[in-house]
Amino acid sequence: MIIYLRSGGKLHDLLKPDVDQYTRRVETHEGATLVEILGELGIPLVMVAFAFVDGKVRKLDYVPTDGDVITIQSPVAGG
Amino acid sequence: MALSNDELKRYARQMGLPHWGRNGQERLRAASVFIAGAGGLGSAAALYLAAAGAGRITLCDPDTVELSNLNRQVLYSTSDVGREKVTAASERLASLNPAAAIVPLSERIDTSSAPDLIAGHDIAIDCLDTLEARFILNRACMALDVPVIYAAVSGFTGQLSFIHPPATPCLECFIPHKNPTEKPQVPGCTTGIMGSLQAAEAIKYLTGIGSTLASCLLIVESMEPRFDILEIERDPDCPACGNQAA
Repeated sequence: MIIYLRSGGKLHDLLKPDVDQYTRRVETHEGATLVEILGELGIPLVMVAFAFVDGKVRKLDYVPTDGDVITIQSPVAGG
Repeated sequence: MALSNDELKRYARQMGLPHWGRNGQERLRAASVFIAGAGGLGSAAALYLAAAGAGRITLCDPDTVELSNLNRQVLYSTSDVGREKVTAASERLASLNPAAAIVPLSERIDTSSAPDLIAGHDIAIDCLDTLEARFILNRACMALDVPVIYAAVSGFTGQLSFIHPPATPCLECFIPHKNPTEKPQVPGCTTGIMGSLQAAEAIKYLTGIGSTLASCLLIVESMEPRFDILEIERDPDCPACGNQAA
């Protein structure tokens, strides 16, 4: 199945976007969690705080479905 | 006490907003706001809250002003470098609005100090710069039933939410215990946007107008640019407010 990962900020370069400036097309298998998918892409989990899909915040144990557009967010704590 | 003629003039360009009026202005004047952190976010939030007429503003930060703060911490001037932040900030805010009571606290927020520092305030503004301190503030405010307006920044990215459990998730429901890997680069425009939005959330809550970002997380990515408002939910396994929380 195909999903689309998006990110700006610090994760942008690690994600290596190929669809547009912020989005990467990823082919993966059904049932894979975001943790597994990010691991296969070589994105360190320590650099991903959470994701969001269809306007809802999701943790990294989220299991995507075909066509999902998933935005990943790095930890942010500055003030 | 009714608003004075000076106050009516000073606030004339906001009191005419729908539902704000004299009543909203008096509610704001009676309010007590705790600002945790007088850095980039705290600068913008404090300036706009003082300008709007918040009656009492407590600023809590143990640091002194450094030259590298001045790209984003607009409360301070070059001549303030080396001074206590809360002292310099109090002078600036008092000069902006002499009617505001500014309470400077040059203290670090930790588990033992937080409850006493925050008690007696109507709302807290989270302008801190570490997750550890943010989680301490989150838990202390939850115990005191004080709502928190959370914001955090890195680069051109900002996050914002209105937190008041049990009606909303707490911070630890949606922010994992993961620290950023390095001290962030932050342009002043990002802290300005997010600190201003924190002031807006506080003003809405204190005056009773509009709707807050309760149970929502606003993500601002100014670089793209993109603004997302996301639903967030309470986590039953949250270490701070979940079923197993101490």
